[in-house]
Amino acid sequence: MINVLLADDHHIVRAGLSRMVSEADGIEVVAEAADGMEALQKVRKSHPDVAIIDISMPGMDGLEVVARIRAEFPGLPVLILTMHEEEQYVVRAIEAGAMGYVTKQSAPEQLVEAIRKVHSGARYLTEEVSEMLALRVARGVVGKSLLDSLSTRELQVLRRLAKGHTNREIAGAYNISIKTVDTYRFRLLKKLNLRNNAELSRFAIQNHLIEP
Amino acid sequence: MRLRLILLVISLIAVMSASIGGALYYRSLKQTAVKEAEQRSIDRVETIQRNLSFFLSENIRPARAMAGIEAFKMALDRQTERRMQAANAMLDHFRTALGVEVCYLIDRSGNTIASSNRDDPDSFVGENFHFRPYVRLALAGRAATYLAVGATSGRRGVYSSHPVPVKDQTDPGGIVVIKASIERIENQFHLERSERMLVASPRGIVFISSREEWRYGALSRLSEADADYITASKQFASGPWQPIGLAFNADNRAVDGNGNRYLYHRRELENFPGWHVVYLQDLDAISKQMSQPLIHITKEIIFALCFLVGVGVAFLYGKANIEIRRREEAESALRASEERYRSIYHNAPAMLHSVNTEGRLVRVSDHWLHMLGYEREAVIGLKLSDFLSRKSARHMEETVMPQFLKTGSCHDVPYRYVRKNQDVVDTLLSAVAERDAAGRIIRSLAVSVDVTDRRRAEEDLKEAKEALSRYSRELERQVRVRTKEIASILKYTPDVVYIKDAQGRYLTVNRRFEELFGGGVEDIRGKTADQFMKPVLARQFQESDARVLSEKREVRVENQIPHPDGLHTYLSVKFPIWDDGGRITGVGGISTDITAVKKAQEQLRRLSGSIMADQEQERRAIARELHDELGQMLTALRMEAVWIRNRLKDSDPGVATRASDLCGLIDKTIGDVRSIAIRLRPGILDDLGLVDALEWYTDDFEKRTGITCIFEHRNVASVDAAVATTAYRIVQEALTNVARHADARNVDVVLKADDGRLDLTVTDDGCGFDFDAISEGDGLGLAGMRERAALVGGRAAVRSMPGEGVQVLFELTLSREL
Repeated sequence: MINVLLADDHHIVRAGLSRMVSEADGIEVVAEAADGMEALQKVRKSHPDVAIIDISMPGMDGLEVVARIRAEFPGLPVLILTMHEEEQYVVRAIEAGAMGYVTKQSAPEQLVEAIRKVHSGARYLTEEVSEMLALRVARGVVGKSLLDSLSTRELQVLRRLAKGHTNREIAGAYNISIKTVDTYRFRLLKKLNLRNNAELSRFAIQNHLIEP
Repeated sequence: MRLRLILLVISLIAVMSASIGGALYYRSLKQTAVKEAEQRSIDRVETIQRNLSFFLSENIRPARAMAGIEAFKMALDRQTERRMQAANAMLDHFRTALGVEVCYLIDRSGNTIASSNRDDPDSFVGENFHFRPYVRLALAGRAATYLAVGATSGRRGVYSSHPVPVKDQTDPGGIVVIKASIERIENQFHLERSERMLVASPRGIVFISSREEWRYGALSRLSEADADYITASKQFASGPWQPIGLAFNADNRAVDGNGNRYLYHRRELENFPGWHVVYLQDLDAISKQMSQPLIHITKEIIFALCFLVGVGVAFLYGKANIEIRRREEAESALRASEERYRSIYHNAPAMLHSVNTEGRLVRVSDHWLHMLGYEREAVIGLKLSDFLSRKSARHMEETVMPQFLKTGSCHDVPYRYVRKNQDVVDTLLSAVAERDAAGRIIRSLAVSVDVTDRRRAEEDLKEAKEALSRYSRELERQVRVRTKEIASILKYTPDVVYIKDAQGRYLTVNRRFEELFGGGVEDIRGKTADQFMKPVLARQFQESDARVLSEKREVRVENQIPHPDGLHTYLSVKFPIWDDGGRITGVGGISTDITAVKKAQEQLRRLSGSIMADQEQERRAIARELHDELGQMLTALRMEAVWIRNRLKDSDPGVATRASDLCGLIDKTIGDVRSIAIRLRPGILDDLGLVDALEWYTDDFEKRTGITCIFEHRNVASVDAAVATTAYRIVQEALTNVARHADARNVDVVLKADDGRLDLTVTDDGCGFDFDAISEGDGLGLAGMRERAALVGGRAAVRSMPGEGVQVLFELTLSREL
């Protein structure tokens, strides 16, 4: 049985979510909270196995709640629940220490699986978010380096080119035109002072953008 | 020209006479030199003759001395080995002592019995020299000298012999002979190159000579008898004795075979009868000796002379040329002057005429004819009074003419001529008399000055003066009116008006000025600002005055002037006042109270800012409401729909499908709500900040438009919400423009925070536009961007050129935030 804490300021949504989770096998909502402070108190009191936190709540910001839970209960996996679809939010949440991320819109299809996944110790992230995270991490590790001069999209294209993806594949992945991918490739080579894709790959490996 | 020729001839004659004189002088010098040379050569020949005689005779005495030597006597007496030895030793002794070629002893028969050269190959011992005259003479008991070529040695010598007496006998027992070398004697004479010397035998054979080729030559061709005789005497070897080619002329002149001319002298040799010595001196050498130093000295003199003559000639020639030219010029000037006089007389724009004593015209100028309209033929010989008005004619006949004939001149007599067409011409006539040699007046030379125009001009001037005075009265009136108008304007204008001189002293101020600073214009005039204003205010005014004076153009400044209700802001226009010479004489100023306008402006700005802020606030609230409330409600609805679908999936597939459709509908509605909310204001801007918001927006832009949009940021930490909003909205506006108008492929968004500055640029590679050609209201939102930028204290700008894309800039000093 997985004990779950559910924090969402919107009580109708919270009720819907609660019912959805409770109907699943082996998962039980042991506590609910309507804002950040309450969520923290409930975590301390009921020791759930997984905390599901809405990212935007009154009182304490969801991201801060995540950070504090992680500080207080390092072993407790936190799943972020949000209305936002923009990856920027996701990345912030993961950086704050969340293990997974589910939009409220896709909650009926994904939430239960996500709870199980983070409870098992794995992350629950879409591929795109994983990639963005990887890039952020790479940038964080390297610090002041050539990577700083690259935009996020350029890093994305660099990573995929290094992995051997074709322009068409990359264009498809990011919903941009092939010509745009080519422009990115050209700018990458110029900015990094490289000559071809092979050198791009070597650069990506050296900077831990991809595994060798 | 002729003069030049004469000068040339004279100079040539001068040069010629100088050279002839020089030649004559040279000639006489040469003659003197020859004469001197002759005298010298006579001296020379006598010296040589004396010396030769001495040299040739110098062994006579030693021979006599030798003859007395006992050893020789004994050797001649009986030729024992011992005696011969003694005799030979003695001979050697003498040869060495005298320095001669050889000494030898000859017996009575002429055989040589002892000789100092007895051991030489050409030893004389045993030779018989009886054929020699000197042997025979000595054997006959007389001492002798002889010149000959040695029969044994072949060398020339002078032989001196002396008999050796034997006691109690008259005939000598033998003779002693001393032979001295001629070469040695020859060498005693040191002759110069130009000198020749020779010694010839009585038959003309040259025996001694300073020239080797002459030796054994004949002075003249030998006759056969002479040749036989000489051959027989063996005196000069065997010959042949060719003539040496010297021809002796009468006046002591000789010529040799090569044509060299000589001066010669001949003298007999003492002790050698018939022999003579000839001395020759090269004549050319003499003249050379004379002329060389002369040439040496006179060369420079001659050159100098030539040069001086040349210079003199050139100088005279130049002088003459100048004189000639001057005369020519004078002539042509005279001609020109006459021509000019005639030309002036006829062409001068003056009426000139001459009358004789009867008052009849004898000459008139062209202008005179032209003025009166007559031909010359028609007027000459008529009386001048015929061309005058009746009054002037009477005046002339009665007063002027008699007076003129008396005094010979008249001045400015007013005459009135009548032209052919009956017009009148007013003139002033002046005349002088021309007199003959006796001093009688023969005619006049008169000039009439046309004063018609002058008289007319005087009248015009008078009229003009009157008109001017009328005009100036009108002008004064207008000035008074304008002055009143301006004074009224100055008095009633709400502006403060003042004029200062260049030293900052007030010259005039208007009533508003007086009200503002107190005191009447009389109190203020002549004072500087700091004499009646507060120092702060006075300094403000004087600084701007100084700028006007130094920049020489109008200056606009804002001044803060205290009023009873607080500080008022004045906009002052200060301008230089120029005088006619372009110098600045002072500064004028007009100050307008713009406090109210300023306040209104500030209020408007604040209002605009607050409206914008309110609008953003409102948008943020609505967006959040939409996104969070409505969105969440829809999400909850969706959950319910999914729940229903899942519940009835198996039991009632129809309802499940409806629930699924409902779910799709809700998804679309959520999408719409979200997009409306984001368009109003993206939550990410408030939640995550500017960088995340721009990252998302550019990403979204790229997806929506297909234009490659790259966002770069550097050092951007958190920025103030208002600044973030401004930056975001500017990017939004700029990218919207790019999508709409630019036709661009790439657009770069760069956000940098360096050195307390925030710099945002949006650069596209589109078609650009001519920035000057578009107006602010063209929908590019540039005005909005600027206003937004200004509200947060920053600056927005747009740069573009057709074909070079557009760059939108936003910059801001962040120091407040830092």
